[in-house]
Amino acid sequence: MISLKSIDKNEVYRYLGYKDSIPDEKVCEIIDECEQKLLKEISPRYIYRVFDAEKVGEQIKLKNAPDILKGNDINHHLEGCEKIAVFAATLTEKTDKIIRAAQINDMPSAVIFDRVANAAIEQVCDEIEKEVMKSFPEYNQTWRFSPGYGDFPLEIQSELLNLIDAPKKIGLTLTDSLLLIPQKSVTAVFGITKNKIIKKKQSCNICNLRESCTFRKGGTHCGF
Amino acid sequence: MVFSELLKKNFVILDGAMGTMLQKSGMEIGEIPELLGITNPDMIIDIHKAYINAGAQIIYTNTFGANRHKLNGHSVNEVISAAIKNGKSAVAGTDCLVALDIGPIGQLLEPTGKLSFEEAYDIFKEQVIAGKDADLIVIETMTDLYEIKAALLAAKENSSLPVMCTMTFEENMRTFTGCGVSSMALTLEGLGADAIGINCSLGPRELYPVVKELCGLTSLPVVIKPNAGLPDPLTNLYDVTPHEFAEHMLEFLKLGVKIFGGCCGTTPEFIRELSDILKDKKPHERKFNILPAVCSPANTVFIDQPRIIGERINPTGKKVFQQALKDGNIDYILNQAIEQVHAGADILDVNVGLPGIDEKAMMIRTIKAVQSVTDVPLQIDSTVPEVLEAALRVYNGKPIVNSVNGEAETMETILPLVKKYGAAVIGLTLDKNGIPQKAEARFEIAEKIMEKALSYGIKKQDIYIDCLCLTASTEQEAVLETLKAVRMVKEKLGLKTILGVSNISFGLPNRELINHNFLTMALTYGLDLCIINPNVDSMTGAVRAFKLLSNIDKNSIEYINAYGGEKISQPIKKEADIDIFYAIENGLKNDGARITKELLETHDTMDIINNMLIPALDKAGSRFENGKIFLPQLILSAGVAQAAFEVIKEKLIKDNAAPVNKGKIVIATVKGDIHDIGKNIVKVLLENYGYTVIDLGRDVDYQCVVDAVKENNAKLVGLSALMTTTLKSMENTINLIRENALDCKIMVGGAVLTPDYALKIGADYYAKDAKESVDIAKKVLS
Repeated sequence: MISLKSIDKNEVYRYLGYKDSIPDEKVCEIIDECEQKLLKEISPRYIYRVFDAEKVGEQIKLKNAPDILKGNDINHHLEGCEKIAVFAATLTEKTDKIIRAAQINDMPSAVIFDRVANAAIEQVCDEIEKEVMKSFPEYNQTWRFSPGYGDFPLEIQSELLNLIDAPKKIGLTLTDSLLLIPQKSVTAVFGITKNKIIKKKQSCNICNLRESCTFRKGGTHCGF
Repeated sequence: MVFSELLKKNFVILDGAMGTMLQKSGMEIGEIPELLGITNPDMIIDIHKAYINAGAQIIYTNTFGANRHKLNGHSVNEVISAAIKNGKSAVAGTDCLVALDIGPIGQLLEPTGKLSFEEAYDIFKEQVIAGKDADLIVIETMTDLYEIKAALLAAKENSSLPVMCTMTFEENMRTFTGCGVSSMALTLEGLGADAIGINCSLGPRELYPVVKELCGLTSLPVVIKPNAGLPDPLTNLYDVTPHEFAEHMLEFLKLGVKIFGGCCGTTPEFIRELSDILKDKKPHERKFNILPAVCSPANTVFIDQPRIIGERINPTGKKVFQQALKDGNIDYILNQAIEQVHAGADILDVNVGLPGIDEKAMMIRTIKAVQSVTDVPLQIDSTVPEVLEAALRVYNGKPIVNSVNGEAETMETILPLVKKYGAAVIGLTLDKNGIPQKAEARFEIAEKIMEKALSYGIKKQDIYIDCLCLTASTEQEAVLETLKAVRMVKEKLGLKTILGVSNISFGLPNRELINHNFLTMALTYGLDLCIINPNVDSMTGAVRAFKLLSNIDKNSIEYINAYGGEKISQPIKKEADIDIFYAIENGLKNDGARITKELLETHDTMDIINNMLIPALDKAGSRFENGKIFLPQLILSAGVAQAAFEVIKEKLIKDNAAPVNKGKIVIATVKGDIHDIGKNIVKVLLENYGYTVIDLGRDVDYQCVVDAVKENNAKLVGLSALMTTTLKSMENTINLIRENALDCKIMVGGAVLTPDYALKIGADYYAKDAKESVDIAKKVLS
């Protein structure tokens, strides 16, 4: 079971729009309070499965599973991988409730909770990757790729969730407009291979948000 | 054979997993399992038969996801009828029963999700009606107390079949939506389930502590249907053998569990081992002790010590509250809720009755909204039975009903509702002759109420008596009579007592002193539930001190938590030197409110707004724009201005003066989108500039925006969308506004929007952040 001990403050600062600077004392104090409360209240839920990869023509597919790897970008990303991990993670409804409640009479904390939760769910994803890779000590991994990146369509979200039984096992569901609920949740796949991963250049070009991204506007990036 | 007869046997054996067997029988991945009942009935019948042969006495139909939402266009009635037919054909010639299986809908309910309680009820109702030929109904694998309540109500109201309810718990003793075991037991037993228990998620070993807790909390037969251990995350295979499974189940036998089966990963082999091992065992008598308690999903409040009920959500005598109700200003009420919880309230009373408003609609909205932001149980307070029933329906958990009295008519109307929805109830010791002077007479009414409530099947521990506090200034001799009655009710009837305290001091100076002392006296006479204003420190403190001194708060933990950690923050600047500009710049909310109060004595409200608040906010805004400060500081500044505005608003309402209004702006997060924090920041900022913001919330229908613009004659609309998938809704909303030829400008914002895209979909303005939305408002509404 993954439980976070702390939340990366530098990430929180970045999500809050602080570029290289550190917030003032008062804001740091609120960030600390929000971090402590979230760490105390939430227990992240996650589920993953590792599939064998097979190549059908030019397409990479999960063996014995529905075809969720649609689009060129994901295929390119997983090129040469023998295994593919599919995972979903959520900070659960409790986090939504904390953020919702703070918005009633403490908007600064609400905004900070929101960003701390963003940082937390990313950390949970990092931990999931580590946990999966423990079973594959000899292998390398690609970075995680989520529906909505590049031309990997958001529309496969529902099939992806069902494939790993996420609605039943971790309570992660999808709305008609393809929003994950609870809100602080992630689904992703990554490739696992004995081969050396050819470092595909991570860049903003693949991202659908590149035109509107606040990080890019500020001359930085999300850290991919 | 019927379910109640089956329960007379030593044990009842259920079947094992359906999904596991379907996969073994060759179901394709991605197939909808429930449709196999129509396309391949023999496969399903064979699975049922395999379980019956292994010893199952109840089989679950293959209808776990046979709901409108998951069947995706296939007829619910057709699928369920076929499934029951298959079940009946499998049990033919045996004593086995067929249970209509109902699983979760697969969509999260409000407030986190979009599905309303009422829609969920309708979805389940359709399943219940389609399954009328079953022998019983099973609602299983639920994690959301609200969802299982909708399902259980739908079952009870649309069928007379017995209902078994099981929920799914994690190792932290909660479901993953946060529901605790006690909340489950209190709520489902209250709503009339016939058996309750636990299924899925974990193996028998891991579920032991959960089942142990449940067995101590309910008088109903307990069901257990664990998985075959834990699945390997890589292979999805389970780790417990049929024999180990059966051995573990013997542990549950000792706890007094009555009904046994298997969930994911179990097969007929598991059920065979299980029925073999139970065959010659004797059932164990179960020990349970059901304490008086009320609950929300995540929080059970046991009435085993004095508890504080916050009285502030009540418009009586409060002009500002009344105005909020007239305006439908739910945020005001939520603020009252959160403030009281922070101050130490264990339970909140909710009264939204005001002549001229739709009390029922407002009550439903308030109950849902308050539960969406707090975990404290609620006390539903209304004189209108219809309002009480509506609230009891939508309340998530077990509430208190406030109230009945000794008059036969109120008891006959309200007590059946209390029973049906499994609530606790307050009985006021008055009747058509009013409040008796003497304690003995009040005691008699209490006794009458108790007898009546018991006759409806309400449990004794769910009856709380209010011996009624009269005003000391006019009926001084009655004070001790009230206290005496409290003691009598408590000692002779063994019922919990409740008292509204604040009334005692009416008409006297220094009311707090009297309230505080009366509360302490009442506590020593045995008062359990104190209805007070928890925001008054001395009142909450009296309860805390009493608990410490009477050895209830062991090791003074609660007391020290409340008072031991108080930080004495060093003011950076002396109070006298802080002005409103400094307060706003530095995010000093309390100072902002205090200074505004002072300013109002010498300054005109518009002077304060136009020449102080707005310039200070403008300064913060431009520093934000220039990258000198960041979002948290901007919002901190806005929070101070907001507090200042509240003070101004209160004064205007008290003076019966017109509210500040620089123009109306309708804002909404568009249909399909539920990310609304950005929109809410915009709202705070716009309100700070004196605009009247009509906030339609999130996931807002196109037409709803149009209607609001028309109704309010708003000249500016703000729309927010966070996802690429919901930008289309934004465009549709704009199109509908244009089609209706409304004379208003539209501004849009949200993470995925760009200025170009905003123009393309027909918006007038793109706001890149909250600050810019204010600039736009100034331009449009000048």
